[in-house]
Amino acid sequence: MKIVAVTACPTGIAHTYMAEEKLIEAAQKKKIEIKVETNGAIGILNELSLKDIKEADAVIIASDISLDLKRFHQKKLKIVSTTKAIRETESILEEAFQDLFPIYLDKDVT
Amino acid sequence: MHISEIINENLICLELMSPTKHSVIFELVQILEQENVITSTKSFLEDVIERENLSSTGIGYGIAIPHAKSRFVKKPALVFGRSEKGIDFQSMDHEKAYLFFMIAMPEEGSNAHLKILAELSRKLMKESFRDALMHADSKKEVLAYLIKET
Repeated sequence: MKIVAVTACPTGIAHTYMAEEKLIEAAQKKKIEIKVETNGAIGILNELSLKDIKEADAVIIASDISLDLKRFHQKKLKIVSTTKAIRETESILEEAFQDLFPIYLDKDVT
Repeated sequence: MHISEIINENLICLELMSPTKHSVIFELVQILEQENVITSTKSFLEDVIERENLSSTGIGYGIAIPHAKSRFVKKPALVFGRSEKGIDFQSMDHEKAYLFFMIAMPEEGSNAHLKILAELSRKLMKESFRDALMHADSKKEVLAYLIKET
């Protein structure tokens, strides 16, 4: 299984990277492949490619700000706050693993 | 660039006195004031509280990271504070916070400084690191743990 994630927070200096770290750590424990794009004050790091997104079985958006999710149209996706991603990482990954994420349909994609 | 450029022993307090969220934020801001990091205590405080009002920076694990990117910050700095009794910080897990990291960033923070803070944030997710800070006996020891590579 492969997961891609995006993390972001209002100031972009702490929560973004905490959520990143927790997602990577928890995914490794579950032997799930993961790539996490951080959308912080430094800018975008580890940017997801179209190929990453295409190959991903599930998408986790751990964000406290609104992000453009067009590129995730028709992907199985879950949106959570960074705090939730930090605190409830295991259960979020388990949900992804069980294929319980709903399919995201972007209203701007026709 | 190294974390030692934004924190020193004067920016560490191992015995925070405050009993409440609001007062501990004030206590931490005062440390920044004493170290000449901010131009206005009142205004920086407002910026921190504004961020806090979006959502509590009490992230659980006994940690809170009140912070602001603010035009009232002269130079990037980090304050580390520890409370023996713990403080209700309206954290998501409803547990008290014991370890406080107040981050002060100027509006135009350099990437180098931001990267240091990103690295610190990642380290905070490690239980061994939190335990080490919780049990450190001196400011020197705290600094050593903060500086130590993971």
